[in-house]
Amino acid sequence: MATGQPIVALTGVSKDYHLGKVVVPALRNVSLAIEPGEFTVIAGPSGSGKTTLLNLIGCVDVASRGQVLVDGQDTGTLTEKQLTRLRLEKLGFIFQSFNLVGVLDAYQNIEFPLLLQKTLGKQEREKRVRDLLERVGIAQYAHHRPGELSGGQRQRVAIARALVTQPRIVLADEPTANLDSHTGTAILDLMQELNRAGTTFLFSTHDPRVVSRAGRVVRLIDGEIADHDASAADRLAIQ
Amino acid sequence: MILFRIALRNLASHKLKSFIVGGLLAFGTLLLVVGLALLGTLDVSMEKSVSNSITGQLQAYSADAKDKLAIFGNMNGGTDIGTIGDFARVRQVLESHPDVQAAIPQGLEGGMVYGGNIIDTKLEALRQAEKAGDKETSAVVRAHVRRIVGLLAADMAKIGEVTDLANASTETRQAVADLATAGNDAFWQDFDRDPLAAMEFLENKVAPLALNAEMLFFRYLGTDPVRFAKAFELFEIVDGQAIPPGQRGFLFNKLNYEDAVKHKIARRLDKMKDRLEDGKTIADDTDLQAWVKLNKVQYKEITFQLDDRATKQVRESLQKHLSSTEVALEKLLPLFFEVTDANFATRYKLFYDVVAPHLMLYAVKIGDTMTVKGFTAAGYPTSANVKVYGTFRFKSLDKSALAGSLHMMDLMTYRDLYGYLSADKKAEIELLQKASGVKEIKREDAEAELFGGGGEEVVDAGAATPTDVAVAASPVDEAAAATQVAAHGPSKPAGGLGERASNATKLYRDELNKRVYTQQQIDTGVVRNIAIILKKGVNQRAAAASIQALLDKEKLGLQVVDWRTASGAIGNFLWVIYSVLAAALGVIFIVAIIVMNNSMVMATLERTREIGTMRAIGAQKSLIVQMFMAEAVTMALVFGAFGAGLAGIIIAVFNHIGLPAWNDVTIVLFAGPRLYPTVGLHHMLIAGVLVSLVTLFSTLYPAWLAMRVTPLQAMQDAE
Ligand SMILES: Nc1ncnc2c1ncn2[C@@H]1O[C@H](COP(=O)(O)OP(=O)(O)OP(=O)(O)O)[C@@H](O)[C@H]1O
Ligand SMILES: [Mg+2]
Repeated sequence: MATGQPIVALTGVSKDYHLGKVVVPALRNVSLAIEPGEFTVIAGPSGSGKTTLLNLIGCVDVASRGQVLVDGQDTGTLTEKQLTRLRLEKLGFIFQSFNLVGVLDAYQNIEFPLLLQKTLGKQEREKRVRDLLERVGIAQYAHHRPGELSGGQRQRVAIARALVTQPRIVLADEPTANLDSHTGTAILDLMQELNRAGTTFLFSTHDPRVVSRAGRVVRLIDGEIADHDASAADRLAIQ
Repeated sequence: MILFRIALRNLASHKLKSFIVGGLLAFGTLLLVVGLALLGTLDVSMEKSVSNSITGQLQAYSADAKDKLAIFGNMNGGTDIGTIGDFARVRQVLESHPDVQAAIPQGLEGGMVYGGNIIDTKLEALRQAEKAGDKETSAVVRAHVRRIVGLLAADMAKIGEVTDLANASTETRQAVADLATAGNDAFWQDFDRDPLAAMEFLENKVAPLALNAEMLFFRYLGTDPVRFAKAFELFEIVDGQAIPPGQRGFLFNKLNYEDAVKHKIARRLDKMKDRLEDGKTIADDTDLQAWVKLNKVQYKEITFQLDDRATKQVRESLQKHLSSTEVALEKLLPLFFEVTDANFATRYKLFYDVVAPHLMLYAVKIGDTMTVKGFTAAGYPTSANVKVYGTFRFKSLDKSALAGSLHMMDLMTYRDLYGYLSADKKAEIELLQKASGVKEIKREDAEAELFGGGGEEVVDAGAATPTDVAVAASPVDEAAAATQVAAHGPSKPAGGLGERASNATKLYRDELNKRVYTQQQIDTGVVRNIAIILKKGVNQRAAAASIQALLDKEKLGLQVVDWRTASGAIGNFLWVIYSVLAAALGVIFIVAIIVMNNSMVMATLERTREIGTMRAIGAQKSLIVQMFMAEAVTMALVFGAFGAGLAGIIIAVFNHIGLPAWNDVTIVLFAGPRLYPTVGLHHMLIAGVLVSLVTLFSTLYPAWLAMRVTPLQAMQDAE
């Protein structure tokens, strides 16, 4: 937040998928910057390229053309190993289907990225994990395995896991899609609360109720940004 | 550590899969550890039994040998292991080597012996009775001899029915004629007129016909008996005495002596006794039942040997014991041998108290001088008279026919039989020359005469003149020779150059058995192979190499092999077990690899999203590989340890109760009736390493697959 430099900056990014000889353009000439502290929603109909855009920002895929800067680093010039490192250090991920490690309990799932980072000692790790368990409201389920948790609880674990490394930005691809609307709202509340506490969020959805909660909406249609900084009222109108 | 935690959790959450794969691993480890422990123990025990009984740790034999030395026999049967010309010199060189405790001369040969013939025995009794003027005994024995002649004639008649007598060999026709003469009333009425002539006729013409059934074939080891006994810990005298130092002599191996030389029925009763003592019963054991039947039908083996007086005594005892009024022994004996579990013990005792004293219990008795017939290196039939001093065995191996079939003979007699002209043999030739009036006998004729048992045999075989002997006799095949020899009586060493020569030879040979040789004389001359006893704690392999180098330096033309190689087929036995074990393990581990590989690949596919997620949130490829390895290692550790532990328990149990040997070979392998296996740390280590390798190997492909899972795959399945 203090740097003034955007966490993510895309300039003229295009992504083509190749299905045999057919070229599917998933993103066309997208330029976008995400500033620290934002709570941004990428909205758009199915197939509009939301997931593709998040994948490029999340360093799990590379652009066909254009430049993707994550925390100032050009992802197109990094090796796979460096990209992995970048994901570990700077990014947090929340998945649509939670994607917890089934054989580990909630505590261990949250601790996992810290173990990959190998920078914190046992006590610091424990403090951070306990703290997050508290903040996402599942302290009493610390030693339950994902199979023993409800969808909302699992997503809370996933959120805690995404935050535990204190990433520059948390990416979430349709985090509420697999939750009922009530639980989805609660998760959104939690994310908003965490955002207010300082975490930058970028997530996709095509649920209008979610869009209404966004601080900023990036609207994608057919791989192109249709509407840049529309106000909340405009957004509703478009819908 | 998190990886091991994940691994353990994964194993625990896929119980069935883990159980199958782990079971395979555990079983493989178990087999491996038990196998290695058993083989390791076997190796030690086998070395103990083989090298401490006959071979020594190393064996030396001619470098020019056509066949490989195979002391316990081999599959292809070749035995041309060459000769060692001058043992004294080789011994001196060998025993100068710092690692060598002793060098024991050896030579293996096969030979034949005609067991004491019932007619000979009876004639001896007859001679005694005549000398003592005991008319009554003489009459009893004469009647017995006549009865035997009658039986022989009946046998001959049976043969005559099968083979047309008119076309039979002169030999056979002569035999029939001789038996007819001896069966004639006139012969026995005239007996008293010239008893000596009558007895000589019986001895020379009739007795030999009773032989064939009594021919024993066996293998013996020619050696220096005194030094042998000192060098080989397992050797011990059972009956009689050791061959006196420096003297000629023969020792039977106790087991084979009992098996082959003892009266069949007595031996069978002994074996029944052993088996019953082992806890078997006649009611249940088919072998025992078969032996009972055999004893019942073979009563002739007894009646044949009983004269009228003995028959009467045996009859009375049996009638009393069986409360029978039956008169014929032919009926009483089968009744008597119809033994049951209840009456065996009393009947066994009765047999030895009442029947056995009248029997020739052993075809060759300890104390007898017997004629051993064999073949020289050149193939001539040959013979030597040697006194039987006793029996021996190899401690703890005494139940194994493999270790119990080799008899022992002094080196001097051995060399005579083997066909090397010793000083003694040269003297015998001169004696023959004098006795036969032949001025000069060509060297080869002499050998044919001496070792070939004489011209007469060869003439019988169809050769025309003594000059042809060498040519005709050298390719004699064993069977033909055996029948030739069979036509001659026992203690009838050489006949060819006439009775006088024969008698002179006999006397000379009897005298030989009294001679005492110096160590120098014993050592000087030919041997076939040498057992090298190493000093305690010497490294066998290093010693073999350095001894070989020494022998080469001295240009002795010898090769040194270890006991395993020298023992022949049985030495390979361990390798056979090794191979079987290796094959079994190979199969188990290949199956384990396939199953593990398969289930791990399945797991990888199942866990694609999990792996993708880990990659997405920052896990490197290497970590994913490590995760799979951790799973494999955990698997190997947990189940390998379980298998090894179980193996340890099994071995400990067998170490306590002992693994029983089940046949001749295993007795030798186990160095006794039971094997007490021990397991070493190195067995566990080998098993551990092997199981880990197998596990890691089966993880390679799934780990590679897992490594290729991309972070994108974490999201894809979501939709
Ligand atoms: N791996 C792929 N191979 C080929 N085409 C792809 C691949 N991934 C996405 N696409 C195509 O790219 C376009 C954008 O897809 P994307 O998944 O980014 O859309 P989305 O906005 O996330 O849709 P949804 O709301 O359904 O999740 C679509 O036309 C899709 O079919
Ligand atoms: Mg999508």
